[in-house]
Amino acid sequence: MLPLNHDKYSWYQILFLPIFFNGILTVHLPVVGGLLSAHLLSKKAGVEVEVGWPCSGPLLRMAEEAARKLLPAFQTPTGMPYGTVNLLHGVNPGETPVTCTAGIGTFIVEFATLSHLTGDPVFEDVARKALKALWKNRSDIGLVGNHIDVITAKWVAQDAGIGAGVDSYFEYLVKGAILLQDKELMSMFLEYNKAIKNYTKFDDWYLWVQMYKGTVSMPVFQSLEAYWPGLQSLIGDVDNAMRTFLNYYTVWKQFGGLPEFYNIPQGYTVDKREGYPLRPELIESAMYLYRATRDPTLLELGRDAVESIEKISKVDCGFATIKDLRDHRLDNRMESFFLAETVKYLYLLFDPDNFIHNDGSVFDVVITPYGECVLNAGGYIFNTEAHPIDPAALHCCRKRKEEQWEVEDLMREFYSLKKNKKFTLKRASDHGEGERAKDPEDAPSEKGGEKRNFKKSSHSLLSCPSQSFNSKLAVLGQVFLDNT
Amino acid sequence: YDQCLFSYQGQGRNPKKSLFLVILCSVATSNKSVTKDVTMPAKLPVNFFSTRSPVIDLFRGQLDYADHLRQDSEIVLYFFYAPWCGQSIAAREEIEHVASRLSDQVLFVAVNCWWNQGKCRKQKHFFYFPVIHLYHRSFGPIEYKGPMSAVYIEKFVRRVMTPLLYISSRSKLLDFLSNYEPGVLGYFEFNASPQPPGYLTFFTSALHSLKKDYLGTIRFGVITDKRVAEEISLVRSGSVYLHRHVNTSLIYPNDIMNYTAENICKWALENREMLIRWLRPHGGKSLLLNNELKKGPALLIFIPYNPLSEIHPLLDEITKVALEYHNCNKSQAAEPDLQHLGDTDSPAFDSSVPDAHMKLSETFSITKYPCCNTVVLPQWHSISRTHNVCELCINQTLGVKPNKVHVPHCNFLEIEAALDSFYLQEHTFFQVISNTIECSNFLSFYSPFSYYTACCRTVNRHFLSFISSEKTIFQTPKVAFSSHGKKGNTQHSIPHIEDRNCFIPDLHITGTNITGLSCRTNKTLNLYLLDSNLFWIYAERLGASRSTHLKEFAAIVDLKEEVHYVLDQNRSLVGPTLENFIKNFSILYSPLKRHLVDDPSVHFHEQRVITEVTTNTFHDTVFLSEKNVLLLYYAQWCGFCASLNHIFIQLARLLPPDNFTVARIDTTQNDLPWEFMTDRLPTILFFPHQRKEQSVKFPEDISVNLPNLLKFILHHSRLSSSEPCTKECLHKETVLQQGHISHLEREIQKLRSEISALHQAHDQLEAQLSEARREEHRLQQQKHALEKQHKTLQLHSERLQATYDQKNQELLEMAEKLQELADASENLLKENTLLRILVASREGRLQSKDEIKESLQSEQTLSEENDISVSTATATLEEKRIDNIDTIETEHSSGNRTE
Repeated sequence: MLPLNHDKYSWYQILFLPIFFNGILTVHLPVVGGLLSAHLLSKKAGVEVEVGWPCSGPLLRMAEEAARKLLPAFQTPTGMPYGTVNLLHGVNPGETPVTCTAGIGTFIVEFATLSHLTGDPVFEDVARKALKALWKNRSDIGLVGNHIDVITAKWVAQDAGIGAGVDSYFEYLVKGAILLQDKELMSMFLEYNKAIKNYTKFDDWYLWVQMYKGTVSMPVFQSLEAYWPGLQSLIGDVDNAMRTFLNYYTVWKQFGGLPEFYNIPQGYTVDKREGYPLRPELIESAMYLYRATRDPTLLELGRDAVESIEKISKVDCGFATIKDLRDHRLDNRMESFFLAETVKYLYLLFDPDNFIHNDGSVFDVVITPYGECVLNAGGYIFNTEAHPIDPAALHCCRKRKEEQWEVEDLMREFYSLKKNKKFTLKRASDHGEGERAKDPEDAPSEKGGEKRNFKKSSHSLLSCPSQSFNSKLAVLGQVFLDNT
Repeated sequence: YDQCLFSYQGQGRNPKKSLFLVILCSVATSNKSVTKDVTMPAKLPVNFFSTRSPVIDLFRGQLDYADHLRQDSEIVLYFFYAPWCGQSIAAREEIEHVASRLSDQVLFVAVNCWWNQGKCRKQKHFFYFPVIHLYHRSFGPIEYKGPMSAVYIEKFVRRVMTPLLYISSRSKLLDFLSNYEPGVLGYFEFNASPQPPGYLTFFTSALHSLKKDYLGTIRFGVITDKRVAEEISLVRSGSVYLHRHVNTSLIYPNDIMNYTAENICKWALENREMLIRWLRPHGGKSLLLNNELKKGPALLIFIPYNPLSEIHPLLDEITKVALEYHNCNKSQAAEPDLQHLGDTDSPAFDSSVPDAHMKLSETFSITKYPCCNTVVLPQWHSISRTHNVCELCINQTLGVKPNKVHVPHCNFLEIEAALDSFYLQEHTFFQVISNTIECSNFLSFYSPFSYYTACCRTVNRHFLSFISSEKTIFQTPKVAFSSHGKKGNTQHSIPHIEDRNCFIPDLHITGTNITGLSCRTNKTLNLYLLDSNLFWIYAERLGASRSTHLKEFAAIVDLKEEVHYVLDQNRSLVGPTLENFIKNFSILYSPLKRHLVDDPSVHFHEQRVITEVTTNTFHDTVFLSEKNVLLLYYAQWCGFCASLNHIFIQLARLLPPDNFTVARIDTTQNDLPWEFMTDRLPTILFFPHQRKEQSVKFPEDISVNLPNLLKFILHHSRLSSSEPCTKECLHKETVLQQGHISHLEREIQKLRSEISALHQAHDQLEAQLSEARREEHRLQQQKHALEKQHKTLQLHSERLQATYDQKNQELLEMAEKLQELADASENLLKENTLLRILVASREGRLQSKDEIKESLQSEQTLSEENDISVSTATATLEEKRIDNIDTIETEHSSGNRTE
């Protein structure tokens, strides 16, 4: 087990103890993500941090230790990890090689953060390798299934969709691309997105299809799929996101919650799958969308969620899982994600001034032995358990000395007396690939960037489209068809 | 995260089968949970409405009782709710409000349609809550789908109560017909039988229309008086008439269609005239606006509307404009309505007419000023929301003296020239925010002989009606003049003049007329009304001010062109302004400017590192500033923008603030002129100083980081500075160097703090090191102690070994002794057997001597005694043996322990 005998960090033990109890044998990402997030927020929370923070600290060391325990799982022929790893002995000999897609693709945010903070690239490398292996094994029509054998790379469950089993894979492609400004991850997601739109999207619902043939296998909506609109809004597909969200909201209005499975053609729950364990996904999407549209409908969902939680699930010692949405029977359990995610997102939905929503107008400057860092400037990336990670921190520790020197050289250039034109050349030679081709465009006669933009058909993958004109009126349930 | 919610075992070809499999597996996995079967039923339903409420609350869903109740009342409203539902909770108050007003005529029944033990849940299947059903006697259910607001609900209930309006007189008829909503009239003679034939059908069709069209835009009326009926040329009892304002009205074709409620309703819906429509989005997903706005440009008029109020003067005025606008063939039918509207309905209009006349008389007294024009300064420039109004007059100092005989002193060209000069000098005026009139003179740009006087002042919206009429005064002569040779339209090509053309009614014929404009223009507008009490958010989105207390707003939205125009909010929303707005949109060179919505919540912060630009400050910050400007287009929701924040903050902190501005604009909140719009976010533009028009875009395929940005800026800010060095240049360089010095100072400071951080880290490390050393020392001591202990232990073990050997020896000895004992016991056993044999032989002998009893009496007793002694001897022997074994065992185990 992880060392817990530091008396100094008892507060941390209290925070994370439940996870250790649950995961004596199987520890997934929650530990690493939670530790990293707590590490990065510890200063804001008023904890006295050590001098090397955010590049060192007790929580970071623990996160690293925990992550190292997970590394043996990645030692497979394909690079895709096992689903379960014993923290003491590594992978059990009889361990099943079948892992769900999300279990393979949900590492990049935590592991890349860890690599950037500690300087050890091994974490990011294994996470990337796993993502690439999944990408390589997608079907001809560009979809991925639900479960795969990590030894043979054969798809065991061939249902393709956006919900259970794959959800956080897509989520992490986007969030990884944003966090790391990584075009490769984004291009993967955009390809998937195209295939998903082509094969699984019907009338703003997303169904389950066979991953090779694209035929519909289950016409259901899963509660877990409700994260999708939030993800779409992050990459600027706000109108599609809103349309899908409004579909999901109708299901909520019918039951006062989202059943695990909802049969779309029948308009009712699916047998044995009618529970609602107070999942956060729809509220999460509402929070993201509210940032983008300020549509009061989203606050209405928040109100409905508060009413439902209060009226239906509140019991003496907590908030119980709704066992059956048809009659609101309660189960004898409260899920951890209720407190960690549902309540958090709900709070953030109603608190637009929260520091998490910081738009970059305020920030902290931290002096580390490695240089000066700008931190807490907003743009927090939530990992899949709603632990926020500050993207600025990633650029804080790994800032190589060369970059710093380069910046200093450039600053000297700013103040230099000589008006030399050497500089143009220098710039062109500095960015290797494809830069030279664009050189003529930098000629002073070129007027404005806008014109050039029309000539080029492709645009940067790491950007969102501007919102269309009709988005001004796309509130209170109004949606607009194609924005051409 | 719970990704592996269900696991698959296999994939069936049949989709149903695979679904089944999935469920099976997932059940199997969920069975693991120990607490699985412990569930708690939902809480029992409780009262939803208070017991004192006029609403009967059937919170156990007693639908049968609800049906029973219905028999007692003519009008019943059912409110089906779910107790957990936010909408139901929000609507509860509204329903209670309506109930308190109508409880004597309408029965209000609330039914909990969620509780699964209740009748309602078992019989009805709703997809949303609350659901409102109305019954008019046996007719129903009529579902109410309108806004969940008390006034609207009450209005609807009232319409269900009296679906037919009784038209008793001519004036009531005119009232009915003049309404903007389509009207259906039926003529029935009530003298013959208790109910004339067809009346019931007509009545039902009125109810039916409420079912179809919850907004209730078709009004149904009934005429009983023959003379009144003749007004609309209905002679036969039982005929049904659909009134239309622009097209000819229709009479229900009894011979073609069957006379049924459904058919009448359908016929009316299909043939009604929609001059102006209410838009009431219901809040759920809908394509309403999409469908309406895709039809073409639309004029959206936001007015506060109370459906319960009897008179709507503003609405009547708008209706009049709409009618005029659509009145293409100038049909006479529209005339009486219009007159009627003008006569009775709108007091505003009544008062405005004499008002205008009064102003007209004033006109001639004021025209002693040679040649003037009033200009309202455009919104774009004004910092505050108040209006600057300038009165622009032409004074000719030389040349031809103005002719004082004729009223039009100045010609159109002169005014135009004056305006041009005025707009060029405009910036000198717009600082004026005071109530006093300030005048200033400036020279003409075209003629050396004239100068112009501009007297400006600030007015708020209360003055505007006055000013608009005042403007008319100066306008009048000009229109008369220009109508000679030019088309009235061309004058609108001059910016801002749209503000002054408030025509006097008499001049209608000469100017652009709104009557029938919809047919003459190729930019036909669809007119829509929205209740600003409910849908003000759309107005805000289009740029209506958030602070205004009067929620009136009008905007023309052209979805195809992606533009919208806004009627100046400082002008009151009255007929003439609306007419002008429409006219200005329709003419060829429209003077309307695309409205740019900006973010009013942004305030200028000097201390911010990154300047936040809005629509209003864009021009000043980017083009008027003397600095190089790097502008970032972003949106808060775009993930790719937000994660760049820290880079721009760093950049802004690095660049010398005297020469560079790092700015950004939130494109979601702020519109910009087309040429500055971008289609992707984030976009980075650089506007070099002195060449602001030659903006450059940061290449999209280069990653955005600090060195790249610096190179980009450096590259583009350098290009022009190759001119020979002058004094000015030298001065600049000194400034630059000073900047450099301060930059280096900052740098030094940073390094110092870094050093101190390093020192701290060093100290910390040292502390850790000494701690470690101490630890090491301690460990060493511990080691010594342990070694000592080890030694003693070793000694101890040696000693133990010795004792063990000794014990072993003893054991061996014992074993020998035991062996001896065993041997002895064996001997004893042998003896024992011998004895037994002896006894046996004796017994044999005894038996043989049995016959000779008397002689052998004494011998027998002796043998018995012997027997007993033998047996006791054996027993003692055996006991001894067991004891021996025990001692061996115990010793053995003790030996073990010592080992």
